[in-house]
Amino acid sequence: MTELVRFDHATLGYGRRVILSDLTFDIPEGDFLGMVGPNGAGKTTILRAILGTLKPSAGTVTHADGMRFGYVPQRDQVDYNFPLTVTDVVMMGRYDRIGLGRRPGKGDRDLAHRALDHVGIADLAGQPLNALSGGQKQRTLIARALVGEPNVLILDEPTNGMDLVSTTQILGLVRELHERNGLTVLMVSHALNEVANYVERIALVVNGGFRIGAVDDIMTHSVLSEMYRIPVDVDSFNGHRIVVARREPQLPPRDNA
Amino acid sequence: MLDAILLFRDALYGALVIAVACSVLGVYVVLRRIVFVGAALAQLSSAGIALALWLGGQGLMLGLASHPIAFALLLTIAGVLFFGAGGGRGRVPPDATIGVTYAVAAAAGIILISKAKTGEAHDIFLQGNILGITATDTVTLIAVAVPVLLLHVIFYKEFLFVSFDRETARTLGYNVSFWNLLLYLTLGLVIAFAMQFAGVMLVFNFLVVPAVTGLLVSRGMAGAFFWSVFSAVLAAVVGFSISVPFDLPSGPAIIAVSGALALLAYGVRLAQRR
Repeated sequence: MTELVRFDHATLGYGRRVILSDLTFDIPEGDFLGMVGPNGAGKTTILRAILGTLKPSAGTVTHADGMRFGYVPQRDQVDYNFPLTVTDVVMMGRYDRIGLGRRPGKGDRDLAHRALDHVGIADLAGQPLNALSGGQKQRTLIARALVGEPNVLILDEPTNGMDLVSTTQILGLVRELHERNGLTVLMVSHALNEVANYVERIALVVNGGFRIGAVDDIMTHSVLSEMYRIPVDVDSFNGHRIVVARREPQLPPRDNA
Repeated sequence: MLDAILLFRDALYGALVIAVACSVLGVYVVLRRIVFVGAALAQLSSAGIALALWLGGQGLMLGLASHPIAFALLLTIAGVLFFGAGGGRGRVPPDATIGVTYAVAAAAGIILISKAKTGEAHDIFLQGNILGITATDTVTLIAVAVPVLLLHVIFYKEFLFVSFDRETARTLGYNVSFWNLLLYLTLGLVIAFAMQFAGVMLVFNFLVVPAVTGLLVSRGMAGAFFWSVFSAVLAAVVGFSISVPFDLPSGPAIIAVSGALALLAYGVRLAQRR
């Protein structure tokens, strides 16, 4: 299988500050990878290196020829004060293909409509972005990523701040895009329980450590306990994996005698 | 009344050029929440003019000092480079940096002008002297405004993208720093030239109030630009027309009309929601 992105002993950081070192892994074509870890662990740093906006201070990060990323940013990164329609936003995914100083044509508009149809919100094409629900906004951003015809779809915390229904729908949509179109997907999230039930591989970024593998290999008591440095149990319920951190043992009552 | 207005028609044309240029850029200023960057740049520009007049009075740099715009441009561009690069990100919050720049530039301008032998009253900086705009000044303003506006028409989608979602723009290969800097440069250029005639208060007004009006009335970017320019032009014409026969200061009269139009737009927005 073709490797789309390859990390070879890469060290990542900002200036002299090293965030993660000696990373070696690859993202093959057709992968469905979840990158999970707490805030501040280095997920965004790895994401930037994958996207090519951060160069490694040592080692290499290489991309397959002609790679295109479809990036779905965190929803709060987008400014909803702009008076833009859903189609306006989706069209932005075509801007680099349209070229400097040129306007979108009919072909671009058709592709935008098809992308909206793909994510199930074609009927919202003319709606203002700021009138949409959280789930609809996320679908708009996914459509924008798809309209650029990417090799890899990258979603940064796609379910942040969403309720249970919207979370399930968005994760279901992402899995459908992967299964139906064979799209390579990288999903970044802090919610291990959510991601583990949808992706095929997991990259854990915790406490300065990095571990990547198939879901079955990573979602074990020993790996998770070692990475999170607390006892973690993995169970299943109706075919869903559930990760639970064990409660701290209660301290014995103080002996005043 | 018409005779009086016609007498100052060159001033009106100049005011219209400033109104159009500032109200187009103002849509980005308001949407990007850099309203006070606009104010700080206008103050830097006025400090530049004051510096030129003070140096001229001291008999220093006579060649350059006879062109205050050169100093206004110099300080404004320095401000553009500073704010365009993130405004000294670090321990000091960006809005505090803008506040410091504004306060220091305003004070420096007043101190320098009070000690300049050829200086004018410092309220000229605040209110401007729009009635003093000549046909030559208008041509100068057009020579600045037209290329800036053309740049914004040609690269509309680039300016829009980096303003709306810089991270995604970066992933698609856009040099976000370059486009941001270009946007700030066009802003600085227009402010530096407009400041000489319109003063800090009127330039700030044209950068903010018409854009707010446009964004209140319109649900799309094209509409926001249209109504921003329309309300700026209307405010300039009506404010100017009232100020000349009634002997009112032109700048504040234009600002008052701008404010009234923004209130009207707010009313329209409320009515639309019902």
